Amino acid sequence: MTAGAVGATSVAAAVGITPDILDSGLAEDLAAASLALARRFSAGATMWCIAPQWEPHAHHMAVEFVHPVIVGKRALPALALTSPGVVAQARVAVRAGDIVIAVAAADDAAVLDLMRRTSAWGALSVWIGSGVRPDGGAADHVLWIDDPDPLAPATGRFVLMYHLLWELTHVCFEHPGLLADDPAACGEDVCVTCSDEGRPAEVIVPAAGPFGTALVRTATGEEQIDTTLVGDVVAGDLVLVHAGAALTRVGDRHE
Amino acid sequence: MSESTGFLYPFIDAEERDSGTLLTDLAGSARQKARESSALQRSTLEACAEKVAAAGTEMARRFAAGGRMYSFGNGGSSTDAATFAALFAQPVTGRPLPALNLAADQAVVTALGNDVGFELVFSRQIIAHAASTDIAVAFSTSGNSADLLSALREASKRGLMTVGFAGYTGGEMAESDAVHYCFVVDSQSIHRIQESQALLGYQLWATTQRCVAARSGAEGGGR
Repeated sequence: MTAGAVGATSVAAAVGITPDILDSGLAEDLAAASLALARRFSAGATMWCIAPQWEPHAHHMAVEFVHPVIVGKRALPALALTSPGVVAQARVAVRAGDIVIAVAAADDAAVLDLMRRTSAWGALSVWIGSGVRPDGGAADHVLWIDDPDPLAPATGRFVLMYHLLWELTHVCFEHPGLLADDPAACGEDVCVTCSDEGRPAEVIVPAAGPFGTALVRTATGEEQIDTTLVGDVVAGDLVLVHAGAALTRVGDRHE
Repeated sequence: MSESTGFLYPFIDAEERDSGTLLTDLAGSARQKARESSALQRSTLEACAEKVAAAGTEMARRFAAGGRMYSFGNGGSSTDAATFAALFAQPVTGRPLPALNLAADQAVVTALGNDVGFELVFSRQIIAHAASTDIAVAFSTSGNSADLLSALREASKRGLMTVGFAGYTGGEMAESDAVHYCFVVDSQSIHRIQESQALLGYQLWATTQRCVAARSGAEGGGR
């Protein structure tokens, strides 16, 4: 049993249990995300769960909301998306008003690509992870553990995070007055996406010729727009739309 | 009404408009639950330290002898079983070791569930796949799931090492002779039990890694 003694000496200290693993900033982020989730669910949202590197987390989040551990709590529509082409899978699955929640590192290319499309799809985005943070604005709600340990995803800390998200979301359901005023596709402070200032859109079908219009998808549905200003676009490109025309591209070109 | 319990008393009317109080209560509640989770993780690891060391040693011995590990559970616990298997098979660091999650194949799970009953979805797979050098690891919160107990009994009968994760007071898993190493998380909350089981599983993996490294003559310890 000599080798066994190695394990016995390393309890707690080696696995980095800290007495306060949820700092006040993260607690506030969780609270805000939970209220946003409750508002969306109340308005009929489906939650799409994604975790390309740690697929079990996507399934755990989905089962948590669909089949609550506490008898009597409402079953909420949540589904895991686990196909290798998760952006394409999400594009057909996600409807305006839905929720997209991912557990992923900040440099996960598929999740980065997915998250920057959610506003064009009218979906609320939540990103759970650890280590280096994603850039500001990468998702509507970023729930982050500032711990560089690459093994953090396997120590139960992400599980704690989505357990709390579920628990707090259900607390919000007890406050119907705060759920009614869901600001739909908008942030609570500024409502740029609802005015016609420059709404994000994803190209579905590019213009057929120089004088044609492109079919795009926005948070409020599909529409035909003029893409002359931004030049050639291909399906999947993201643009900002103002007064029926694409003003500029958003981010890198698709593919 | 104190701030920490305010959320227990919902507004009767639907006229509540200021979300500030609710958000403060939610954040406080989140921190409190996280502290409870950490405290439970700490006490669980301490209570299970010797058993983790012994189980990790035995698992390393079996992996060295060519054994495989099968993990399984139901619902959220099935995903924790999958994370546990992935930790062994595709570790970020250390030696990859053969580990499979028995709920992963929907064809097999639905075929068995439909044809022979859900209680046998894991034990039939143990019968088909397992050799006496293998390891069976079941994740449960109640410790009473019939499909897990059936698989653990089958595994024990076939000479496998059996490990059970349970909560509450351990249920039947804690009583059964078919469960050689039973890790019980002493809590009544399914969420808090799963959070401690995840860390226990991580610790079991880390211990196994150290024992594997020691066996192979590497500088003992890994990370």
